[in-house]
Amino acid sequence: MKIAAIESATAASSVALVDATGVVASARRIDRRGHVGFLVPALDFCFSQAGWAPGDLDAVAVDVGPGLFSGIRAGIATAQAVAGAVGVPLIPVSSLDAVALGAATGHRRIWALIDVRRGEVAAGAYRPVPGGVVRDGAAELIGPEALRATLESDRTDALVVGEWQALPAATLRGLHGVKTGRPRYPAAAAVADIARNRVEKGEAPHPDEVRPRYMREPDVTINWSDYREEGPWA
Amino acid sequence: MSGPIILGLETSCDETAIGVVRDGVVLSNVLSSQVDDHARFGGVVPEVAARAHVEAIRSLTHRALRDAGIHQLDVDAVAATRGPGLAGALMVGFSYGKAMAWALDRPFLGVDHMEGHLFAPTLEHPGFEPPAIVLLASGGHSQIVLTRAWGDYETVGATIDDAAGEAFDKVARFLGLGFPGGPAIDRASDGGDATSIDFPRALGDRPTDLSFSGLKTAVVTFVRRHHEAGDLPPLSDVAAAVQEAIVDVLVAKTMNAVEQTGVKVVAGGGGVLANRRLRQRLTEACAARGIRLFLPSPILCTDNGAMVAAAAAFRLERGETSPLDSEVDSSLRLGS
Ligand SMILES: [Zn+2]
Repeated sequence: MKIAAIESATAASSVALVDATGVVASARRIDRRGHVGFLVPALDFCFSQAGWAPGDLDAVAVDVGPGLFSGIRAGIATAQAVAGAVGVPLIPVSSLDAVALGAATGHRRIWALIDVRRGEVAAGAYRPVPGGVVRDGAAELIGPEALRATLESDRTDALVVGEWQALPAATLRGLHGVKTGRPRYPAAAAVADIARNRVEKGEAPHPDEVRPRYMREPDVTINWSDYREEGPWA
Repeated sequence: MSGPIILGLETSCDETAIGVVRDGVVLSNVLSSQVDDHARFGGVVPEVAARAHVEAIRSLTHRALRDAGIHQLDVDAVAATRGPGLAGALMVGFSYGKAMAWALDRPFLGVDHMEGHLFAPTLEHPGFEPPAIVLLASGGHSQIVLTRAWGDYETVGATIDDAAGEAFDKVARFLGLGFPGGPAIDRASDGGDATSIDFPRALGDRPTDLSFSGLKTAVVTFVRRHHEAGDLPPLSDVAAAVQEAIVDVLVAKTMNAVEQTGVKVVAGGGGVLANRRLRQRLTEACAARGIRLFLPSPILCTDNGAMVAAAAAFRLERGETSPLDSEVDSSLRLGS
């Protein structure tokens, strides 16, 4: 099975082509603003490295967040267009799932974090199991104090991965049984791995249901001083 | 031999709009307006716009192809607006279009939104040819462009503060008429006496530059004063007078540009050009001077995908395409 995975939910963006043998080609760049310029050239590069044509694909996978809103949208728009052009399923994957899968070793509970700005991270807990990870509860947006309190009260040894460097340095300092580690960003290869299982199980959603996972309402500031709901004639 | 079939994607502001054009003929032109999404905020919210685009772009593209009676493999080139506009909104159509072009192995063209507006009149008026003075006015832009030839543009007048559509929006909001302001004021002005109130027209300064912020202030002051005094005139009079003031400025400055350049053709584009009073006054002003006027129908005045495809057709014919690593440019300037 041939899958192209597209990942641009954080400052890093990556593209990977995988088949039954593993990763056939991949490209990655770290640049908070460069998603739109990177993704299609990266696809082009990977396909020529692999000797594949878009029509060879069996599925396209895409990271739908949480993460950078613009990056996620660029990734989804790109993935929808490619999947639509070649007529294959489009599989949405969580950025937290992809980060956690990249850390799947040992016995520790894995905490995957993605920077969502404004003093918060998106956090998800995972249990390592043979061959991968299993989600342990729902992902949530959380501030540094609450995250520290959660880790403190949890008796299990923990491995914190993802964008923990976005947190204030004191957040994780001196916590018993808590280690930090890699990966720092989700990787397209992990996105492809997760997607492969879903394709095999026939779990592809309708492409219009592949939506960004924002976890936050849009920021709206209105200049209310000039705003009238009702005119003076009402 | 027929020319190439071009798919045009437009997501620079608050309309997700897709069109298919061949040989200057619109095969389809569909849009998913976000007016209701933004109305509750009284204006376009960039993040709200970007979210709506990514939800609409895929199914709307398919609808445009279906309406045109073609399969995606019939598309010879894909074009998308590169700028100017809201960065997060632009990225959606641009990413989608570029990836679609790459996957179908077709050329991709990033198009200047304003050049799209300049090409819109050609879709209904085959006789429209430069040189022309083109009035472009919407909620996001107001400028007067001298099109010397296709691809050769000079902005001879621009707004020094608010865009014309922004002036409509701000005044409409203050009057309690809702969003978007242009159509709301257009409707509210029905039966009103435009001459009953003399709002200021910023006609001084440079003969082709536009200014609307003074008008907004004058309307606010006028309404507050008369509301307190208890002698507020009918809303239709205020709306008609505001509309007349904006239209006066747009028509006068456009005619100044005509006189300055000696050009004998006028055209228009942008949502404000859908305003009935502006269309009527431009028609009269051009007729009085023996100038030929080409106004697209309202659906092609507002942002649309067909105009993007039309501009792309011209660029493609000149052998121009955009590289795969191209990015959006939210502050793109015409002719740069
Ligand atoms: Zn426009």
